Amino acid sequence: MHPNELVINDYVDNALPAAERAEVERHLGECDACRALVADLRAIARAATALEPIEPPARVWPRIADAIRRQEPVAAERDRSYWKWLAAAAVLVLATIVGMRFNPLSKQRAVEQPRQSASTTSGGTTAAAPAGDTAQTVETELRQAEEHYDKAITGLEQIANDNQSAFDPGTAATLHKNLAVIDQAISESRAAVHAQPNSEPAQQSLLENFRTKIAVLEDTVALINEMRKGNEAGAARIVSGLKEKSD
Amino acid sequence: MEAFETVYKQHAPRIYALATRMAGSPDQGEDLLQEIFLQAHRKLASFKGDAALGTWLYRLAVNHCLDFVRSRQARMGKVTDTLDVETAAQPVARRETPIARIDLERALERLPEGCREAFVLHDIEGYDHREVAEMLGIAEGTSKSQVFKARMKLRGLLS
Repeated sequence: MHPNELVINDYVDNALPAAERAEVERHLGECDACRALVADLRAIARAATALEPIEPPARVWPRIADAIRRQEPVAAERDRSYWKWLAAAAVLVLATIVGMRFNPLSKQRAVEQPRQSASTTSGGTTAAAPAGDTAQTVETELRQAEEHYDKAITGLEQIANDNQSAFDPGTAATLHKNLAVIDQAISESRAAVHAQPNSEPAQQSLLENFRTKIAVLEDTVALINEMRKGNEAGAARIVSGLKEKSD
Repeated sequence: MEAFETVYKQHAPRIYALATRMAGSPDQGEDLLQEIFLQAHRKLASFKGDAALGTWLYRLAVNHCLDFVRSRQARMGKVTDTLDVETAAQPVARRETPIARIDLERALERLPEGCREAFVLHDIEGYDHREVAEMLGIAEGTSKSQVFKARMKLRGLLS
C-alpha cells in the first residue's frame, strides 16, 4: 500500500519522525512509482530553491520616477513658497534700507539750511537739493519708499494667501482682523499725506503703518513655518503675539 | 531621486521575482513592483535603520503581495484545500533531466490560486509552514496540502 500523499510530501521535506521515515524508505525500495514521485518532488523543490531574481523590464523605473514626481507637488509647492519667501525677504530688506535712509527730518533741515552742506548726502541716496525743489523731492522719495514697502507687502501677502488653508479658522480670523485694522490706518495715512504732502507726522505715520503691516505678515510667514515644522509651542507664541497686536 | 533609483536597481529584481511569482503573471508583477516602490518612497521617512534597507523593502513587498492575494481571493472566493491532484499511485516516469528555470517559471504561472502562493512562500522564499499559514490566514495543515498540490501540478506540467 502506498503511503499517504502528505506523508510522501513530509518525507521530501525531511519532516517525518525517524520511525515513519524508515517505513517510507522501506516502501520506496519496492515501489517504482513512489520512488519516481519522491525524486520528482525533490527535483521541483531543488529547482524552486535555486530560482533567481528576475530583472524587471526597463520601462518600470521611468514609470515609478514619473509617479514619484507627480506625487510630490506638495513638496514642490513648499519649495516654491520658500523661494517666494526669500524673494519677499530680499524686497523687504531693500524697503527697510530705503525706509531708514528716507528721513523727513533731515529734509526739513535741508529746507532750513540749503547751502550749509551742499555736497553732503543723507544716507548716500539723497543729495541736498535747492530749497525750492525740496518739497517736490520729499514727495518723490516718499512715493519711492511707498512703492518699496508695497512690493514687500505684496510679496508677503502672496505667501500668506497661498497658505490660507494651513490656518485654523481662529488664527485666520486674527490675521484678517490685524490686516484690516492696518489697511484702514494705511488708507487714512495716505489721505493725510495727500492732503499735506510736507507734513512730517503724516509721512512718519504712513511709513510706520507700512512697517506694522510688514511685521504682521512676517509673523504670518513665521507661523506657517512653525506649523510646517509641527512646532506647536512656537506657533502658539506667534498667534498670541498676533492677538496682542489686534487687541 | 538618484539615490532612490540606486535602491531600486539593487533590490527590484528580487522584489519583481517575488511579485511576479505570487501574482502568477509578469504583467501583474510589474504593477505590484511599481506599487511597492511607490509605497517604499512614501514610507522611506519612517525607515528607522533598525533593519537593513533590503530587509525592510522585502517585508514591505511581501506584505503588499499578501494584500494583493487577499483582495484577489476576496473577489474570486476563498481557496479550498481539497487535493484534486494526481495521486502518488499514478505511475509517472522519473524525469531524466534537471528542471530548466524558464520552464519552472512558466509552469508557476499556470498553478491555481492558493497553492501557488503557498508554494512560492514555502519552496522559493523559504518560509516554514507555520509562517506560510499565518501569512495566508490558513491552517498549517492547509499550507502543507497546498504546497503538495502545487508540487504535484508542477510535476504534471513539467513532465
